[in-house]
Amino acid sequence: MSKEGRKKGIVALAAAGCLILIYICTITGITSIPVGEINRILASKLLGAGAGAVDAGSEAIIWKVRMPRVILGFLAGGGLSVCGAAYQGIFRNPMADPYILGVSSGAALGASLGIIMHGSGGFAGLSLTALLAFAGAFATVFVVYHISRRGRTVPVASLLLSGIAVGQSLTALMSLVMIFNVQSMNQIMFWTLGSLNGKGWPQVMLAAPWLAAGAAVLLSMRRELDIMLMGEETATQLGVDTERLKKKVLISSSVITAVLVSVTGIIGFVGLVVPHVVRLAVGPKHRILLPFSLLFGGTFLVICDTLARSLSPSEIPVGIITAAFGGPFFLYLLRRSGKAGG
Amino acid sequence: MGGRLEFCGVSASYGETQVLSDFSMTLEPGDLTGLIGANGAGKSTLIRCVSGLLPLTSGRILLDGEDNAGFRPAARARKVAVVPQNFNVEFDFTAEDIVTMGRNPYAGEKGKSASRERRIVREAMERTGTAGFAGRLFSQLSGGEKQRVIIARAIAQEPEIILLDEPTSALDLSHQIEVMELVRQLSAEEGLTVMAVLHDVNLAARYCRRLVMMKGGKRIAEGSPREVVTRKNLNQIYNMKVIVREHPVFDCPEILPIRVLSGAATDRPLRIHVICGGAGAGRVLEELDEMGHDVSAGVLNQGSDDWAVCRALGIPMSEERPFTMISEEKQRENLEMMKDADVILVADIPFGAANINNLQGLEELGVPVVFHSHCQDFTGGGLAERISAIRRAGLLAEIGDHDEFLAMVRGDGPEIRKKDGKSE
Repeated sequence: MSKEGRKKGIVALAAAGCLILIYICTITGITSIPVGEINRILASKLLGAGAGAVDAGSEAIIWKVRMPRVILGFLAGGGLSVCGAAYQGIFRNPMADPYILGVSSGAALGASLGIIMHGSGGFAGLSLTALLAFAGAFATVFVVYHISRRGRTVPVASLLLSGIAVGQSLTALMSLVMIFNVQSMNQIMFWTLGSLNGKGWPQVMLAAPWLAAGAAVLLSMRRELDIMLMGEETATQLGVDTERLKKKVLISSSVITAVLVSVTGIIGFVGLVVPHVVRLAVGPKHRILLPFSLLFGGTFLVICDTLARSLSPSEIPVGIITAAFGGPFFLYLLRRSGKAGG
Repeated sequence: MGGRLEFCGVSASYGETQVLSDFSMTLEPGDLTGLIGANGAGKSTLIRCVSGLLPLTSGRILLDGEDNAGFRPAARARKVAVVPQNFNVEFDFTAEDIVTMGRNPYAGEKGKSASRERRIVREAMERTGTAGFAGRLFSQLSGGEKQRVIIARAIAQEPEIILLDEPTSALDLSHQIEVMELVRQLSAEEGLTVMAVLHDVNLAARYCRRLVMMKGGKRIAEGSPREVVTRKNLNQIYNMKVIVREHPVFDCPEILPIRVLSGAATDRPLRIHVICGGAGAGRVLEELDEMGHDVSAGVLNQGSDDWAVCRALGIPMSEERPFTMISEEKQRENLEMMKDADVILVADIPFGAANINNLQGLEELGVPVVFHSHCQDFTGGGLAERISAIRRAGLLAEIGDHDEFLAMVRGDGPEIRKKDGKSE
């Protein structure tokens, strides 16, 4: 029991550490605002305390720009990491990430179509680009799932291969769209690199419920996901309805990923690396792996995004930062642990 | 307690390849059944079919009378536990984590208490002797420890039936016995219905009360080990020369695999008689027989090692009762057998008063005699006297070991003078 207690202590400590890091990221930015003022703004908004005299501009920057951006960054990083962890579990493949079934390619094609149509329209705070990206992402998973079907079963190997094949075809189509619309090439390019720039509360409000619901479903399957690591046949023999499990994981992960991608573009590497790092730290059990992936993935992306918006006056797409930092860090961990990590 | 598992005319295939055809078998509650057969006979496929991993093309599998196809995985896992052949886990789970997974089929149950679940896991580990390393990483355990952890996981499932797929194939000798003892306990003490796919016919014969032999997806023999482990049946599944004999310690048959049949017999078969009867001629007898020569032997005391080899290989021989002096009658019978031989081999045996008359009258047969010069004499000169008589008849050749004789027979050594001057 004391072992359990210690574990809870570690979780609380990690959570506190992440909160502090997120706070530091919130007070960091190109526009320098005194920390005291930021604290007063946060206190008034979050705790309902009297704000006192604060500069309206500062308040707008903190509350309308930075705060939702930090939260969205946390949701995106956490969501992608949870999906990556679940996918690596059911595919038993260390290279699995949330985009492996072609979600990113489908979203990118949808987004590029939205961009060349110059986004006249939108719905529920979402641009046409985001809507088309979402549609593209979801349609892709649907197609990949049905291509991979063999009678009543959906073999993991054919899922992975069809995911790659469909993804490549869609990427080719997107390139074609870019070639014929050279004037939009930059914009499409930036979209595919992923960014949290210009995102506000509407995007947070849109993504949060889906993420919460999806993550709750994934977490509810933690025990079956553990058993799935024994191999699909053994899992069946241990009473896991593997086809149902795969379907539930695919649907919930696809919903999370599609929503996030349509809002932020393709932020790479987080969903691949964070689960591995967390697994090395806390072990393979999904009961603890999934929440920690959410926590660390979220914090990691918030930090990367802070760098993206602070390093240079013109924003760097956050996907570049995640890859640039995540890759070497991951390699370091691999070498240190001396095993495949997954 | 134990459940009943019935296979009723089961057929199944991987794509175009049919792996089970019209297979029927019933496992009665509490039975320990061994499934033997060559690779690809369909043994492991049976287990996959029970697990619902491979759909049947025809026939039915009944679990306690209910159609297996209608079970959801969790319900089936409460009745049937499988110990798979391959259980590598690349992830950092402890032994206890692995055993706890056996409780998964009961996850949806209402009113189960965490302490009861932990107790079941603990008991399963204690029964398999794995509780001592519950907290160690599974991936760092030895092969035998891993196998026992996987069996503990099966026990934690509280099943009625346990199916084991080659539980001993990756284990060293002592762990093989350890695991088989455990398997026997499951059926004998817990009353579980157990079926084990086994490669090792001897382990199967020793531990299982009932054996089923498979070939090409069909059942070709079924019954007690004595009924199933016969030379005739084994010849059907293995292209091998095997010797079936009584296990020297346990009350069961035992096989000695001799060699894979090559089918390359000599084109010049010789009539060879071997005078033996101790423990040293088994190999030369077997090799001569394998080369396709017409071998006979005598006079052998029943119960001697050479006698057992001749009996197992079906080599005609002249036999005397155990530990008895060779009677005149048998000696004459032996001479009669040697008459038409092309060559007589006196194998490496000790000669004493009881068997020296084996060499009586050889000089009069006109058959060349090849004599192993290491033969010991316990007659006080009787052997030397016999040898010189044969030498005087101009029939004696000496060898230092049996390989020299085999070389002669092959034509690689000194020529064997055939009878009637047929020498080539």
